[in-house]
Amino acid sequence: MSLIASNLSFKPGNEWHLDNVCFEMSKGQIYTILGRTLAGKTTLLKTLAGLISPDQGTLTLDDRDFGSIPVWKREVAMVYQQFINYPHLSVYENVAFPLKQRRMQSDQIKARVMKALQQVGLDGFENRKIQALSGGQQQRVALARSLVKEASVILLDEPLVNLDYKLREQLREEFRNIFSSEASKDSILIYSSTDPVEAMQLGGQILVMDEGRILQQGTSKEVYENPNCTKVAQITNDPAMNLFEGRVEAGRIILSSEIELELPQHCKRLATGSYIFGMRAAGITLNQTGFPFSVELSEISGSETFLHIRHEMIGVVGLLDSVQNFNTGEVVRVQFDTMQLYVFDQNEQLVSSPYCGLE
Amino acid sequence: MNFKHKYLFLLPGLLVLLAILIFPIGFTVRLSLSSWDSFYPALDFIGIENYVRLFTDDARFWEAFGRLSLLSVTTVFLQYVIGFGLALIVWKEIAFQRFFRVLFLIPMMTTPVIMTVIWRTFFHESLGPVNDILSHFNLAPLWLSSETLSKFTVMIVEVWQWTPFMFLLLLAGLLSLPKEPFLAASIDGAGPIRTFVYVTFPLMAPISIGAIIIRLIEASKIMDTVYVLTSGGPGTATETSSFYIFIKGLREFQFGYSAALSLTYLIIMIISFTIIAKILVKLMVRGN
Repeated sequence: MSLIASNLSFKPGNEWHLDNVCFEMSKGQIYTILGRTLAGKTTLLKTLAGLISPDQGTLTLDDRDFGSIPVWKREVAMVYQQFINYPHLSVYENVAFPLKQRRMQSDQIKARVMKALQQVGLDGFENRKIQALSGGQQQRVALARSLVKEASVILLDEPLVNLDYKLREQLREEFRNIFSSEASKDSILIYSSTDPVEAMQLGGQILVMDEGRILQQGTSKEVYENPNCTKVAQITNDPAMNLFEGRVEAGRIILSSEIELELPQHCKRLATGSYIFGMRAAGITLNQTGFPFSVELSEISGSETFLHIRHEMIGVVGLLDSVQNFNTGEVVRVQFDTMQLYVFDQNEQLVSSPYCGLE
Repeated sequence: MNFKHKYLFLLPGLLVLLAILIFPIGFTVRLSLSSWDSFYPALDFIGIENYVRLFTDDARFWEAFGRLSLLSVTTVFLQYVIGFGLALIVWKEIAFQRFFRVLFLIPMMTTPVIMTVIWRTFFHESLGPVNDILSHFNLAPLWLSSETLSKFTVMIVEVWQWTPFMFLLLLAGLLSLPKEPFLAASIDGAGPIRTFVYVTFPLMAPISIGAIIIRLIEASKIMDTVYVLTSGGPGTATETSSFYIFIKGLREFQFGYSAALSLTYLIIMIISFTIIAKILVKLMVRGN
């Protein structure tokens, strides 16, 4: 079973919400649509669900026209950012709702509902009213309702975004287990997220979206190791990959009058010229023999410190694996790990990466 | 200041309450135990004589009460169904939505008595435009002088006059509903009719109950429409409880007896509405 989108476009006003979107998805796989806010993720999911009619393009599921099927007849299930349930129904009735629409036998409904509730850890909650549940439990009900349909396509639109940190971590783990279980093997799971860490953790394929376009599709490893352009490099990293302009001359990288770097092995064959260089925060560390940068901001996150530093026009974020305090304006010495250097051309397309270099 | 003096602050409100609610009720109770009429205008004490007369010797009141129940339940039901239908139409994005919203409210903005006079002219059996049109089909219904049809005519006027009120309450209710369950229902495979049955109607149940009770209370006081349209006639065919109480009190000046009628009517209404509200809650909310 495969879901194919060809040239999907949607422009309700002056801006493209979907711009020539093409992809092919197969059953039993998890696809994460990763992009910033307003990238077009929700619009794409709503288009797949049938809640939005695209201006142009086609959608096919197993060579059948999927796009012309009205929303209530499509074989899709959807979990939203908000905890969307039926407030007037109990947990059991909520989960049973899609099956009742199909006029299934009550014993079949019961068996499937109980199985779905067990999957999401809500067995014993059948008779509770939705309002009596916590946010995490409400989202589990929504998830159970999407699973019980055994739909061909399951859409999850940032389902964890409105949960607190702890619950998000817990549910993310549970989601992964549920999606990799037998119950989901016949479905195409499409998960949208703004969080690159979440996308990487879910595994499967990642589709990176920006301004209504799909910039790159590949496994999480492929996208992480070889982002095909600067936007993908930024979207797939948290904090975003540092980008700075420089020149390659005489086998060296010249970033400023004071900062020159040796060309790493994977960039040895770079031609002389201007490039955009990229480096993840982890590649920028403090070293007494490094280049002078002044501190703009230091952020402590758990057991790590994000250091926002600047040297002339070069503003970067470094990641220190300990909690350290810095004063704004303080000068620190910084080293670039060139083995982790990405190189993009002036059109912002990838030229060389540590995993796919030009030797 | 003595702590007990705080109760003095309650006094203004208490006095107003006494003046506008407790005193009139108290006086009506006392009046109902008297034989005060136009021949003997005095607050004498005759015990429960008026009540005995009402329960043993006044079939006309109970017939009027039965008629009132029929009229109010039927008209409120029709107002609810039509009002809900109209509210559903303009709830969705349709062309000239604002125009229709105002249009549907026009009957409510008119003066009921004047509109009833117009309706009476409209249904006039020899001069009215309705029978003028129907005469082309050799029909001449007795809108105001037939025992059965006159009730129907009162219902038409009541439904026309008060459906917009129901429409307004239900539209406000629809507009306040969360959008998310509708989104979920469409994804879960519910078409428009099933979405209405399983989502819209249940979510609207609390608002519907409120709207129905408000209208039932109003409809149970029906007086002006009957007075202007048929004067309770032909005979007593359209006479309702409130109109009968009006006749006893302000035409026959049997103040003591009409006070007993009013109190009995009030108690029956309170009990009826409590039962109706419980039934509606059971049917519309718990039934979901």
